[in-house]
Amino acid sequence: MFSLQSLVQKAQQLIDPALLTPTESKPSKSSLFRLQFRLPDTQNPLHEITAELILSPHYTLRSTEAAFSDKDKERLQGNHYVGKLHLSEQYMCFSTQASSFLSTASASNSTSFTGQTHGTGPAGNGFTLPLCAIRRVERLNSQHALFALAITTSNGILDHAKAGPKVMPQKFTVQLAGSRQQCERFCDALKRGLRAGMKDVDNLRKVISQCYSEYHLAEDGKDAPAREAPDTGLGAVFKYPGDARKLRDKAKMRLWKEYMRENGRNATLIRQPTFHKLIRVGLPNRLRGEMWELSSGSFYLRLQNPGQYTETLSKHSGKESLAIDEIEKDLNRSLPEYPGFQSEEGIGRLRRVLTAYSWTNAEVGYCQAMNIVVAALLIYMSESQAFYILSVLCDNLLPGYYSTTMYGTLLDQRVFESLVEKTMPILWDHLHKSDVQLSVVSLPWFLSLYINSMPLVFAFRVLDVFFLEGPKVLFQIGLAILRINGEELLDAADDGSFISVLKTYFSRLDESAHPKSENPKLRAVTRFQELMVVAFKEFAGITHDTIVKQRAQHKEAVLENIESFAKRTSIRNLGPESKKLSLNDLGFLYDRFYGVLYERQQRMQMIQADSERRAKVGRGRLDIPGAPTENAEIGRVALSSNTTEMDYNAFREFLVEPERGSYFSSTRTRNIALSPWGSGPDPADDEFMRRLFRRWDADGDMLLTLQDVVVGFARVRAAGNMMENITYFFELYDDDGDGRVDRDGILKMSEALLFLGRRGVEGPEVVPGTPLSPSLTPGLPDERFLGAVSAFIRRCFEYADPEYAHNAAGTSNSDSAPPTSALQDFSIGDSDEDLLNLDPSSPKRPTTKSTPSTSSLSKSNTHSANAALDPAHPLSLSLGTFRMVILADEVLEHFFDTGLPGSFQLADGHGSSANLTTFKNLGRKVAPQQVVGGAGAGVVPPAKGLRGMLDGIVSDGMRVASEVRRRMEDAQRELDKVARPEEEEEEEEEEGRAADARSVREGDRELLEGAEAEGIDGEGEGKGVPEAGFVGMGVGCSGSKRGVCTPYV
Amino acid sequence: MSDGATPLPKPSSSVKLVLLGEAAVGKAPNMTQSSLVMRFVNNDFQDNKEPTIGAAFLTQKCTLPTRTIKFEIWDTAGQERFASLAPMYYRNAQAALVVYDITKPASLIKAQHWVAELQRQASPGIVIALVGNKLDLVASAGSDGEEVEGEDARGVPAAQARSYAEEEGLLFFETSAKTGERVAEVFTAIAGAIPETQLKGPRGGQRVEERRVE
Repeated sequence: MFSLQSLVQKAQQLIDPALLTPTESKPSKSSLFRLQFRLPDTQNPLHEITAELILSPHYTLRSTEAAFSDKDKERLQGNHYVGKLHLSEQYMCFSTQASSFLSTASASNSTSFTGQTHGTGPAGNGFTLPLCAIRRVERLNSQHALFALAITTSNGILDHAKAGPKVMPQKFTVQLAGSRQQCERFCDALKRGLRAGMKDVDNLRKVISQCYSEYHLAEDGKDAPAREAPDTGLGAVFKYPGDARKLRDKAKMRLWKEYMRENGRNATLIRQPTFHKLIRVGLPNRLRGEMWELSSGSFYLRLQNPGQYTETLSKHSGKESLAIDEIEKDLNRSLPEYPGFQSEEGIGRLRRVLTAYSWTNAEVGYCQAMNIVVAALLIYMSESQAFYILSVLCDNLLPGYYSTTMYGTLLDQRVFESLVEKTMPILWDHLHKSDVQLSVVSLPWFLSLYINSMPLVFAFRVLDVFFLEGPKVLFQIGLAILRINGEELLDAADDGSFISVLKTYFSRLDESAHPKSENPKLRAVTRFQELMVVAFKEFAGITHDTIVKQRAQHKEAVLENIESFAKRTSIRNLGPESKKLSLNDLGFLYDRFYGVLYERQQRMQMIQADSERRAKVGRGRLDIPGAPTENAEIGRVALSSNTTEMDYNAFREFLVEPERGSYFSSTRTRNIALSPWGSGPDPADDEFMRRLFRRWDADGDMLLTLQDVVVGFARVRAAGNMMENITYFFELYDDDGDGRVDRDGILKMSEALLFLGRRGVEGPEVVPGTPLSPSLTPGLPDERFLGAVSAFIRRCFEYADPEYAHNAAGTSNSDSAPPTSALQDFSIGDSDEDLLNLDPSSPKRPTTKSTPSTSSLSKSNTHSANAALDPAHPLSLSLGTFRMVILADEVLEHFFDTGLPGSFQLADGHGSSANLTTFKNLGRKVAPQQVVGGAGAGVVPPAKGLRGMLDGIVSDGMRVASEVRRRMEDAQRELDKVARPEEEEEEEEEEGRAADARSVREGDRELLEGAEAEGIDGEGEGKGVPEAGFVGMGVGCSGSKRGVCTPYV
Repeated sequence: MSDGATPLPKPSSSVKLVLLGEAAVGKAPNMTQSSLVMRFVNNDFQDNKEPTIGAAFLTQKCTLPTRTIKFEIWDTAGQERFASLAPMYYRNAQAALVVYDITKPASLIKAQHWVAELQRQASPGIVIALVGNKLDLVASAGSDGEEVEGEDARGVPAAQARSYAEEEGLLFFETSAKTGERVAEVFTAIAGAIPETQLKGPRGGQRVEERRVE
């Protein structure tokens, strides 16, 4: 079905890497450096210099110095490697593969130059030498400005001090090629590192004592060490898989022994071409574990913290976890055909390693398939070794494979498919046509490193190369399998026959690849050998770099798939409460919830990285800090298991922080300022939000899950019943749940009402049948609401008086009269507003003006309120009274009817998901005449978002609230003066009253100005405030003075 | 009904079926949904002792009066995190078996999620069967156990699940993998529910297959 042209295109794509999209975020140099030499996270590239490594052919017999003296001749005899010498905190590394990890070391000005290896692993020739394994560094007499160092290692003498003298010290020369200054600097740094490395010698001694090489090389010394051989895995007890003779294990062992005698062992091993060949032909049983450790780098992890495995186990001994349950289920399903795992010994080891790892990496915990991989490792390694290598697997070699979303697995399947498409287009087309999805077949190959697919002996051969050369090996082998079976696979038309072909192939890997060949040599070639040749020759072009680029190319799509799957699943799992919200709303809440969490986490990481950098600069170090994280999954929206709950600060941001549309895009980290709040303004803190937070926090752990938030929203939004809303609100303030709210609570309620209601009440205010009156002065609603709230306070105080029941008729109580004025000022100021509003023609009457009617009106109330203000006089507002007070005021009643639920505005059906959460957006840019989706709420234009809107509301609300509070406190203070003579009081009061009235009005003015500006925007959009509504309201207000007396039943 | 003893499957239409359901709770193998398949499948292909990674693949033939259907069954892994791999398996599946445990109401909820997922994400026209397993644990299971409710272990009334299934247009069964009760029936019903047209799909008609085999 494919044309020649498309074939050509495909081929071109394969050849020209420029066609591949470059990675969007380059891994840091530090991480590349670590990957290249498989070093622990603590290491950073500090210095690098071009150098020549000079190894005399038999350094054990000759002195390097002598060799150096006759340089030209030596060149013919010894091995010389030119490459880069790197120095990190605790390691000196050399590799012949072009690599550069320091921005300063690269000639190119691109800081993204990463060297050709792209962190491929220690495939080149060279060494990775812990500084603590260096015994001596001598600077050789330099001629012609040559800078040469003779390095003596502790090879072979650490473990057996007594054997020391018999072992010729390992010695080699490194000749630095750089300016004198560069060389000096490198040497100085090396000197410092060596000194610091002294303290690690004990660790090194401990670690190598568990290395079989150490034992093996000492074994044939004259005084064979009278000690047990180190643990080389279950194989030592239960036999290693395969026929040792057929595997030529002894011969391999001899070759390795010879190699190690000349090139060092474990920590001090030098990689020469023979090393790579020895690995390709398959490791001998007893050395396999150790070589895996060295090439994967888990050796260095163990060196860093040799006791971690046993410590972890003992620290968590006896504890239980989900991971442990899951592990337990799989123990009997892990290589059950191997005798070691039919015994309690093997099962026990497997259990301990998996459990220890699940404790050290709780995020990964345990994933099926790890059991199989670890079981395989344990055949050749001690528990402790397997534990460290599992860490390296999960963190570096197979990132994201076993995580909770298995993102790495999915990504690599995608990459594999794309490589198949490019390299075997005919097969790919066939698969496509027969509707066979390749990844269902190849997934187990990758996830269990072929251990579950091939016979063990062959799977281990793949592992040998994999640990050295990295994940690309898995791809090369996979492609080779398909290539070799191409013909037969083209005949397979469904999953069943496809699987069958491969299964048959795997079971015959030990057979001759060319059984009918005349050539006996060719006949001797097994199918497995053929596989290796095809994988590493034909697919030599598949390099680590290819994989890295391909991963980058497919990463976004794979992540998006997982995210959308996670989102669908998560939303479906939210429980019955969530059904009260629309799918759109839920989707919106979901995005918002995880978006906020994600951004916060990113910011925290930036801040942390920044402070770390600062700290380092402070110490005068030149370290290059690693990127916050290389793991694409960590922190990714909703993908990381550690970010599923939000604390109060995040909740605030969740409610208020308005920036949108960037959660899933690649630019999401673009402009993150180094503040905990990012580039946005600090969201206002508020008592109400705090209470809401506590109320929604179902399990009381001060963390909200998405479920909590959704249930909370559903409750507020969907109550639909005003009385329920009132009750809900009341309960928020009923701290001790006794059905009563005290004085402080009342004040806080009023603040919250202001906070929520000043604008929230505006939009849906249209009383049915009332003509709109666009001529109304903007800003009025604020005043009106303010008035309603102050009336609310007044009435609450009035009726919350426990003694009120006795004088329920509304008669003044017998408290002393004088202190009333303070309160009166307060109440008058605001009820003044109420009255003002009665007259729509003069909404902006000077605030200082007080009408006589007001005074007299409020006067009648103040008496009762006085007692309420007395701090010594306990207040308690019951739900019934609260209801009564709310229902007595039309503004508040309306607020609780529609305003409160409307304050929690989510995405509207047609508004795309760009509408903002939380408190309703009013006044500013109400979409003109647009049908409003939700409960009478305005649609926020997507482009505008709510940015700044809610913050404005909040800060305004806060200002009003604090003003109210201040006045209440003033009133209290006045009350405290009650003891003073009446006349004095009176005088003061007159002044205070005027001053108070003025200041209040000024405070209001500010608010009004804000509101005005908004009102103007809203004007002409038919969103004016209905005149008649006000009138009615005002009337209702004054009328309710009486009505209040009849408690609402 | 099932006669999959022949090593090379006889020419037939193949139907890709995916098995989904909550992770089995660490019991004997015949307690899992995979045991449901084991009941059905005369295991001519996969040695069940092998640990499964991602999903186990099994095949079984089902002979109807008018045609023979060869099921290609993907039994997905139970561990929670493997759920994100599920799309890989249900993609292009013509049938799905969503299993829950009639003693555990939570497992029905999980099953409902899978149904929703399939309805939204899988190929349109996919035949979905909702299967409540572990009928053997319910005392009344013997004769006409379905409608007798409130007895010992049962946590999900059959009527509730059935009405849900009817609402969503699913096939519905209660089975016991342990005793084998009604297991084959499920597959026969699925086979019968797959429209003839679906069978002439991309996997080629019978004749093509025949030639290839010979």
